[in-house]
Amino acid sequence: MTIADVVKVLNGKLMAGDGTSPRVVGAVVANDLMSDVLLTDADDVLLLTSLASDQAIRTAHIVGAVGVVIHNAKPLSETMIKVANDLGIPLVSSPLSKYDACVKMHDAFLAEARG
Amino acid sequence: MSDYSPTILQGQQTNDDEILAKTPLDAKALGGDSSVVIMELLQRFKVRDVMKRQVLSIPRKATLREAQRILRENHISGLPVSEDGRLYGIISVNDIINGLDHGWMDDTVDMHMASSLVVLEAGMPISFALRYFNNYTYGRFPVLDSNRQLVGIISQRDVMRALLYELSVEIRKLERKTADKVAQPAPPSETHFFRREWAVVHNDLTGAGRAANEIKQLLREKKVDRSVARRIAVAAYELEINICIHSHGGVLVMVISDNAVTITAKDRGPGIPDIEWACRDGTSTANDWIRSLGFGAGMGLSNSKRVADFFEIESEVGKFTKVTCAFNLKKLEAPAGGTAS
Repeated sequence: MTIADVVKVLNGKLMAGDGTSPRVVGAVVANDLMSDVLLTDADDVLLLTSLASDQAIRTAHIVGAVGVVIHNAKPLSETMIKVANDLGIPLVSSPLSKYDACVKMHDAFLAEARG
Repeated sequence: MSDYSPTILQGQQTNDDEILAKTPLDAKALGGDSSVVIMELLQRFKVRDVMKRQVLSIPRKATLREAQRILRENHISGLPVSEDGRLYGIISVNDIINGLDHGWMDDTVDMHMASSLVVLEAGMPISFALRYFNNYTYGRFPVLDSNRQLVGIISQRDVMRALLYELSVEIRKLERKTADKVAQPAPPSETHFFRREWAVVHNDLTGAGRAANEIKQLLREKKVDRSVARRIAVAAYELEINICIHSHGGVLVMVISDNAVTITAKDRGPGIPDIEWACRDGTSTANDWIRSLGFGAGMGLSNSKRVADFFEIESEVGKFTKVTCAFNLKKLEAPAGGTAS
């Protein structure tokens, strides 16, 4: 599942970064505490978070995330979008809650696994 | 009747050196090269940049009792008397006290207001406002535009807040310049071939993390193993955030040698009284504001320790905290051309 697929699955809108990136999501981390996100060992993480701040993007860059999804269509600051563009992190705004986004991602992964 | 002396603004500006010499920020305090930034700020900033634009006012035919209510409810000590933007006077707490004393509370404010006022114009430099605060005892001045319309009010607090903010911006620029100078590679030695240092500013959570992001990019350019680079960046990020939220500011240093990368975070205090407690998961002195930004859960030091191959922390209360994390390199290709970069 690429970031373009994530945008579709989560009814989202790409706010920054490259929406055509071929990188594939390897794991989903849903968390608002950035120290927790930094602890994850998973590769090619998609970060689902309610933290609409520069720090979410900077954390995603540190762990080499495929992209960041902000829930509940929270307003995103210009600086956040700029940091995402500067660091090359695709940033998606989704109207879904974190729970609904997790369920949708889970279903999408299952569907993908079944072919 | 009023605490406002019958002085009318003449409008002319005096010599700027004289202005500076008489303000609390006197010329002596501004002496030397360091004064250039402040003097430039005092000239660059205009009254309109600093004043409050939402001004409470009262019409001429309102009573002293109504004025008293507005002053009390808004915790202010003076109220412009104006109609359709035109300023007629100021009614102050002293006028209200006189009104209570003499039984004038049902009189209209225009009977007792100060009508000869000291005012500032919106386009005047802040240095002019500072001189007025120094020369008069008033805590605030009404601000008029070029059409003599009331457009704002300015207090000493407004000026100090704006100057402190701008000074912090200027100091940050200077710190970054200093960091860039310090960031020159260290002289080549047997082991070190790359060293870089970043200044980390207290409470600058907008900029916090920038150094860690740069560290990760540098490690990628140096072809450091991806998983090791990630661990280094995690430690750098946590330590950078720690300096930002818990200290008075400090530096983050990365040294890459032949077989290891060392990240050192050193701050200028306040120091940690109980290091063992601070290194435990979940212990933190962070406030709600920091937590709202996704940090402050008390995992910074323990996360850094967890990802590092070597971890050391030293601290002296009131002086500094220094954290060192070192990482063994699985694979590091030296830059072309030798061991120095």
